Amino acid sequence: MGFVIDLTPLVDITFLLLTFLMFTAKFKSEAEAEKQFTIRRPQVSPDTTKLPERDLAIINIAIDEKNPTDTGYYYGLTNVKDLQQVYQLVPEIPADFYNKALIKVDTVTLGKLIRATLSVRSSTRFAIDADRRVRFKWVEDAMNIMRRNRAFVFNFVTDKKRPGETEKTEKK
Amino acid sequence: MAGGGGALEIPERQKRGKIVRRKKKKRIGFRIDLTPLVDITFLLLTFFMFTTTMLKPQIMEMRIPPEMYAKVEVRASELLTLMLTADNKLYWYKGIADANNKPQEIPISKLRALAIEKNLEPMVKNRLITVLKISPEANYARVVEILDELNQAEIPITEAIAKEVDEKGEPVKRQRKFTIAPLTEEDLKLIEGEVK
Repeated sequence: MGFVIDLTPLVDITFLLLTFLMFTAKFKSEAEAEKQFTIRRPQVSPDTTKLPERDLAIINIAIDEKNPTDTGYYYGLTNVKDLQQVYQLVPEIPADFYNKALIKVDTVTLGKLIRATLSVRSSTRFAIDADRRVRFKWVEDAMNIMRRNRAFVFNFVTDKKRPGETEKTEKK
Repeated sequence: MAGGGGALEIPERQKRGKIVRRKKKKRIGFRIDLTPLVDITFLLLTFFMFTTTMLKPQIMEMRIPPEMYAKVEVRASELLTLMLTADNKLYWYKGIADANNKPQEIPISKLRALAIEKNLEPMVKNRLITVLKISPEANYARVVEILDELNQAEIPITEAIAKEVDEKGEPVKRQRKFTIAPLTEEDLKLIEGEVK
């Protein structure tokens, strides 16, 4: 009457993989989920330092996909509780933006946001996540704004260099 | 409904009773049909496998000094200047650039070797200050690439310096001195002199 294959080892491995993937999976932060753009990060040699997940303030410098001349700063905080307090400290941000985790800002507001973030939580870590195609001026300005607002340590967000993708950065 | 059900129950009970009695003799263990469980597990597994990204962004830490207006004097011989122009070309010179010491163009692939060589020159060992002058028009990816090459060069430099011993008998610690500055008109003139 037919034959039976013992599926036990298969199910064992499946469960093992499933539990592994379930425990390692992480949900996107709200700021990440609200991103309307994709950032192509610069690529560097492999490194073990990973982007911190908690209390991170990210300054995105992104190129609008539909309008490539429109580069802009976007400010996001992973700590949603802090975010509300930070927004209230910056009068430039309208109240209907309070439920957003990532907002497009100009240089003046960016400076005020950085200062407010540090006053709410001084241990917040900063990161500049810029598209590799932008001119350095954008990054330099962001660095100067951070310096003026006393955020002296920050990180550049990068990707691991993959073989065969080294020459793509040639594009301006 | 109730009548129909009742009518059906009687023969079933009898049948069931028989089966149960038979089974009681033979049963050693019992089996649960695991098919739905395995179905769901596979479904979840495929979902997680397709949605997981193993490539996570990494970071490059930067420390910038507070704004300072006081001038710090340094020896020109201990300066290594790198200049990244608007057209993403990299030039370098050591000390003060003049007619005899012109900025030279260097491909980024050779930057690491240059940084190692210059940092380990006996006269300036562990004292060399690297200045990276960047044009605001330069490409950000290029800047990060240069920073990465300089970071990579630190590994052999630190290793070589640690081989030496200080007065206390402890290995010498590497003191990295690095700064970023904007590229000025004067710097561009230096480069143009080289191109001509």
